[in-house]
Amino acid sequence: MPAIKVERQMLPMFASPNQGARFYNPELPQTEPFVPGHRTCAGCGPSIQYRMTSKAAGDNTILVGPTGCMYVANSSYLCTPYNVPWAHTQIGSAGSFTAGVAAAYEAMIRKGKWKGPFPNIICEAGDGSASDIGLASISGALYRNHDCLIICYDNEQYANTGIQASSRTPYGGMTTFSPPGKMVPEAKSLYPKDLARMMAAGHPHCYVATASVGYPIDLMNKVRKGLNHKGAAYIMIYTPCQKGFVYETPRSIDLGRLVVECGLYPMWEWDPEKRKFDYSFRPQNMRPVSEYLKLQGRFGHLHAEHVATMQKFANMQWKMMGVELPDALVRAADVKNVRDMGAAQAAEAVALTV
Amino acid sequence: MSTKGTHIPDWLAVPFAGITPAPSQEKGQDLFPTGNWRSTRPVYRDKMPPCNNACGTNEKIQGYLDLVKRGRYLDAYALIKEDMPFPSVTGRVCYHPCEQACNRGQYDEAISIRAVERFLGDFGQALPKDVVKAGPPNGRKVAVVGSGPAGHSAAYQLARLGYAVTILEKSPKAGGLNRGGIPDWVLPQRVLDREIERLLELGITIRTNTEVGKDVSWDDLKKNYDACVLAVGLTEPNSVRAEGENKDGVIYGLPFLRDIGMGTSNVKLGRNVTVIGGGNTAIDCAREALRQGAEDVTMITVERNPKEMPCVPEDLHDMMEEGVVLMHARAMTAVLGNGRVEALQLYPARFSGAVNASPILIDREAPAERFPTDNVIIAVGQHASLAWLPAEFKNERGTIRIDRFGRLGDTMFFAAGDIAQVASGQPLMVVNAVGDGKRVAFSLDRVLRKEPLQERMVPIDVITDLARMNMTYFPHFPRLKQETLLPTFRRHTQEEVIQGFSGNQAFEEANRCFSCGTCNACDNCYLVCPEPCIVRSVRSNGLYRILTDYCKGCRVCIEECPTGCLESVPEMDFDTGVVRMDTAFAITPGLHGRQAEELKNLADRPAKDIENWK
Ligand SMILES: Cc1cc2nc3c(=O)[nH]c(=O)nc-3n(C[C@H](O)[C@H](O)[C@H](O)COP(=O)(O)OP(=O)(O)OC[C@H]3O[C@@H](n4cnc5c(N)ncnc54)[C@H](O)[C@@H]3O)c2cc1C
Ligand SMILES: Cc1ncc(C[n+]2csc(CCOP(=O)(O)OP(=O)(O)O)c2C)c(N)n1
Ligand code: SF4
Ligand code: SF4
Ligand code: SF4
Ligand code: SF4
Ligand SMILES: [Mg+2]
Repeated sequence: MPAIKVERQMLPMFASPNQGARFYNPELPQTEPFVPGHRTCAGCGPSIQYRMTSKAAGDNTILVGPTGCMYVANSSYLCTPYNVPWAHTQIGSAGSFTAGVAAAYEAMIRKGKWKGPFPNIICEAGDGSASDIGLASISGALYRNHDCLIICYDNEQYANTGIQASSRTPYGGMTTFSPPGKMVPEAKSLYPKDLARMMAAGHPHCYVATASVGYPIDLMNKVRKGLNHKGAAYIMIYTPCQKGFVYETPRSIDLGRLVVECGLYPMWEWDPEKRKFDYSFRPQNMRPVSEYLKLQGRFGHLHAEHVATMQKFANMQWKMMGVELPDALVRAADVKNVRDMGAAQAAEAVALTV
Repeated sequence: MSTKGTHIPDWLAVPFAGITPAPSQEKGQDLFPTGNWRSTRPVYRDKMPPCNNACGTNEKIQGYLDLVKRGRYLDAYALIKEDMPFPSVTGRVCYHPCEQACNRGQYDEAISIRAVERFLGDFGQALPKDVVKAGPPNGRKVAVVGSGPAGHSAAYQLARLGYAVTILEKSPKAGGLNRGGIPDWVLPQRVLDREIERLLELGITIRTNTEVGKDVSWDDLKKNYDACVLAVGLTEPNSVRAEGENKDGVIYGLPFLRDIGMGTSNVKLGRNVTVIGGGNTAIDCAREALRQGAEDVTMITVERNPKEMPCVPEDLHDMMEEGVVLMHARAMTAVLGNGRVEALQLYPARFSGAVNASPILIDREAPAERFPTDNVIIAVGQHASLAWLPAEFKNERGTIRIDRFGRLGDTMFFAAGDIAQVASGQPLMVVNAVGDGKRVAFSLDRVLRKEPLQERMVPIDVITDLARMNMTYFPHFPRLKQETLLPTFRRHTQEEVIQGFSGNQAFEEANRCFSCGTCNACDNCYLVCPEPCIVRSVRSNGLYRILTDYCKGCRVCIEECPTGCLESVPEMDFDTGVVRMDTAFAITPGLHGRQAEELKNLADRPAKDIENWK
């Protein structure tokens, strides 16, 4: 069989918006594969992510949308905001559907039925789909190394069905399935599944990265790296959901920065060539977790000891990234030092009188 | 399902795919104008940057810094020239009220605005032809009396408006205090000469050695010109009313500097020189004394410490570096010596704070101090010389009686600069004189065109507060320092003490500017909108538009605009009734900034001038 030449799109990287002392975004593509008129909530983090991702990918793109807000809220009445081919798939079959699309293009090119560059095939799965219901199918697609990019837009819960806990919901996060009460005052006692590292460890031949809407250019560059990577790629992106997190809508981007600055969302890339994590991303500041927690209603019930526990968790993440901990953060992990919040008993007493 | 790029079999095309229009980049999803969810609307409104507001002539500082950031030096120079005839001069001498007001000063260090201004001024000086031209002649003649900053500015603006302008100057050389006050080592004469050449290029006539009151009379002015601007400054030094002030070796600061500036000085200073006064003129005198050969210079002030001295701290610092010694809380009451100064009599003194009584309280109970010195230079302010002015136009403070537009009654005479501002209590400085000259030129023009005079436009704009901006986007960066000559070397030469920025340095320093309250096309709002419903046809300052059909009012764009030029306006007013449906579907692009409009117009103008050089 004659060797077939597959024409690939190699997308150039964006320059950093921080040019010396000046902040100025690089020239962005004119194209807009994600258009307004969709029915997500105002300030929706996943939508922000979707827009940035699709803008970075460009027009020669095929989108796959397993069930979740980015399908349901976006595509009612047979109308979608996607200006490129897009298809819904069942929530559990994100990986298999995407693998199928990629395999189909491979076959069509092999048979000479598709001329032109290999399209960007992107699956946009929610964390419910990616970490629970569709985990196996996504792992399969990564394992078989189909040429596609699977994104987990991580809003840390099943948002579309009315905010239920997923395995990405953080410790302490209130959802309708994890309400705070007498027995479990912290609402959720389990820690979030370390999904992205699991994907890197289990599929080391893939490009894997984490990103956040708080750093748009970094996010768009990671998307392009994932698309340029020949084979499967996986990116987990922090996308706040104002309905579930209960915060003021203008804070969507700000939370994306804070979650990284508080050490709760380590930013890294997995280099499949070197088989190494790259932890060189550094936020501008390091802050105690309370800065992040206090903006969100879903953490409103936490007691001082829970905040200290969260800080311990964050400190471990900083250490994992090889960052030296400032004293302030070590102190913040001690419940005695968590100020502006009464002791657990005092807080419970107040809660009971309400 | 999006149908774009998808082959739909005929039997599926109807009815499903047929009834829902495909979305498009231009129109979004027509079926769902989500704008009606909104209770608050983001609106673009450029605001006044505090630097522009603080500048005495309201230079568009944010605007030219923005152009420098883009490497558009010529455009930046053209923009500064709107309000400032000689950026090369103010770039060296200005007391920079803009930098005191700069928002970045509250964050780390103020932008070095003056240094960038100087860079642009020097850039403009090097151009073979200036970017500014005289207006089409309107057949009217105006006399400007005095060629200091106020007269220079008024003449410049009037020439641009098409007037035939003649400057009458009593000194042998034009420039006012720029030449005969501010020393060479701050403002080299060649720089000033070049700016005066630029005035001549505009067709302005300068008649030096022509004094009003001696060579030209009040009636001549009335007869020969359609209007006249009096920008005569304060030319006479104040005395301290000490005994023996008429002795040899007693020198007044203003004529001391003036004669050196005009090249007519024959002063010979002794080894020890004492300067009386604590202001900027006194500092210039002390530093000039070193350059005229004095070895030890002492400055005597009534103020109790350096902080109270009414001067620019940087200049005081540079003076101390050069070795001038300060003596505080003393007043000179007599000059001792036999026909020539040998020593000064000093008493402890302080300011009384009284308004009507003598402002200085001298403690004559304390023992007098005898302070030996070879010369004393008195620099305690100056006053006007107005013998030629008809009495009806004099006021009780010895200056000219004017209305708030600078006009003398209903005559065609106007006054500007120090002579007009001294009564208002404004700090006297070059940039304020320039601003006054500009405003008076515009008032004069209106009067001659028989248009009603307008109050100086009150800034309806909000002055941008740091709290309204998003500092996340601005990492701390230190201010770029200008190089200075070494103190031990510079104290003996007339060479310029402070060195200019290179193009790269100017660019780097301009990069530190926040662009307070003014869109600089950073694209951030455009990038973060979740809809996305912020559009722009070209990426340019203030040309962003919000598709209100779709905006859900999340306010992410407002929060994330680094410069703070987006605002939220409520769509609903629950007190007066709901107005939501009236506005939700109205497509208004939001208000764009005044400044953005100006910058937009600027784009093609200097390009033409580039062609003209060839
Ligand atoms: C020593 C000194 C240093 C200073 N340094 C600074 C500085 O570094 N930065 C700063 O911002 N400000 C400085 N100032 C203040 C600043 O120079 C003045 O505020 C400014 O020059 C005022 O401008 P003007 O045009 O009103 O008056 P002037 O500059 O005084 O000009 C008035 C002109 O009118 C002429 N004139 C007067 N009477 C007649 C007449 N009858 N006929 C014809 N011509 C006449 C005079 O010869 C003179 O040329 C300094 C002032 C002094 C005294
Ligand atoms: C097999 C199956 N189980 C349950 C559902 C119900 N369901 C619809 S959307 C959704 C939430 C998905 O959560 P996530 O993937 O995190 O996306 P999000 O809504 O948060 O964007 C669920 C559980 C379904 N559609 N299919
Ligand atoms: S519920 Fe959350 S994820 Fe879903 S549309 Fe609303 S903000 Fe977006
Ligand atoms: S940061 Fe720039 S725009 Fe703001 S006050 Fe300073 S110079 Fe002016
Ligand atoms: S970010 Fe977009 S949707 Fe939100 S307020 Fe601004 S323009 Fe409207
Ligand atoms: S975010 Fe940037 S582009 Fe948008 S209005 Fe503000 S300054 Fe202009
Ligand atoms: Mg989710």
